Amino acid sequence: MASVTSFLYLAFGLFFIGMVGVLVRRNVLIVLMSIELMLNGANVALVAFSRLWGNLEGQVFAMFVMGIAAAEAAVGLAIVVSLFRARASANVDGLNLLRDGRGD
Amino acid sequence: MSGLLALAPAPGQAWPGEEPPPGALVQLLEAVWAAVQSTTGQEWTFAVFAILALGCGILTVASRNPVVAAVWLVGSFCSVAVCYVLMSATFLAALQVLVYAGAMMVLFVFVVMVLDVDEAGRASVKGARKPALLAAGTVLLGGIAWILLGTITRQVKTPGRPIDADFCTATTVGRELFGPWLFAFEAISLLLLAAVIGAVVVARSRRERLKEARADGLADDALEDAGLAASEDDAHDLSVEETHRPHPVMDFGQPSAGGHEGGT
Repeated sequence: MASVTSFLYLAFGLFFIGMVGVLVRRNVLIVLMSIELMLNGANVALVAFSRLWGNLEGQVFAMFVMGIAAAEAAVGLAIVVSLFRARASANVDGLNLLRDGRGD
Repeated sequence: MSGLLALAPAPGQAWPGEEPPPGALVQLLEAVWAAVQSTTGQEWTFAVFAILALGCGILTVASRNPVVAAVWLVGSFCSVAVCYVLMSATFLAALQVLVYAGAMMVLFVFVVMVLDVDEAGRASVKGARKPALLAAGTVLLGGIAWILLGTITRQVKTPGRPIDADFCTATTVGRELFGPWLFAFEAISLLLLAAVIGAVVVARSRRERLKEARADGLADDALEDAGLAASEDDAHDLSVEETHRPHPVMDFGQPSAGGHEGGT
């Protein structure tokens, strides 16, 4: 049995990769995928602690996180579709409609 | 390199008659060999699949084409599912493969197919602000990494307490889910329903909404009130006066005309 700490390092790695993706990438689809990676890292940490303490609440929470992720993906992709109809672009830098005056 | 030198014994430290201690490189190799020999099969499995998960994650973030990124993400999800099995969370591993690697990735690939996204999307920052943004991003990422890694290294290093044979079967997880967490479960189902309805409403185009309103028998003046009448002939969902603005208004589906309650 690998120790809990190694699973936590895996969780940290997944979360960090996802965070870098959200910050660096400009393609909105890949930004959404990076968010899924971050949620996956959180899930790994939840399950690792659930295993450490020997109760199941962490796994139940991981299932709830999966539900949240599914809802987020559905709404996010609907927004992407709507956005693509209006802009014909998947670049998040173009989404400055609500920004004050300075424009692009 | 300086770390290796620090490991080396200082000259003259060995007692007379004693064998001189082995060099730093030999010590390092012996330590690595001892670690390799003491590693169990389960730990090897964890190491392989953790590296696979992280590598596929990196390739997801790094690939330019969203379809390729989705395929790498499926690989990362499946590797994480194997790690769930190693933590004896078999039911969650099955859910991970079914929900994440199955349903959600199909949704992603389907949207990519519908949208015909180009392969653009590199980071693009203009001239003068670039160093400042890079510094800010490095400080942010480094700070979060520092805090998280510091927390992890202070955690206990035990493999976890012994568990029953039926820890995490579908039965026990279901008892937990439908016992103390029943309200949260129902709340999640309501959230999913709201997300489905929201996704349908948001993703409708203006022309579809106009068609629905016509089918519901709305009069033309009612259509005009809802801002739908002018949009029959435009091909890209922008009404006439909006195209002259510097920023075309995005169509996020106003609550509108015809809605779901039907006609007048």
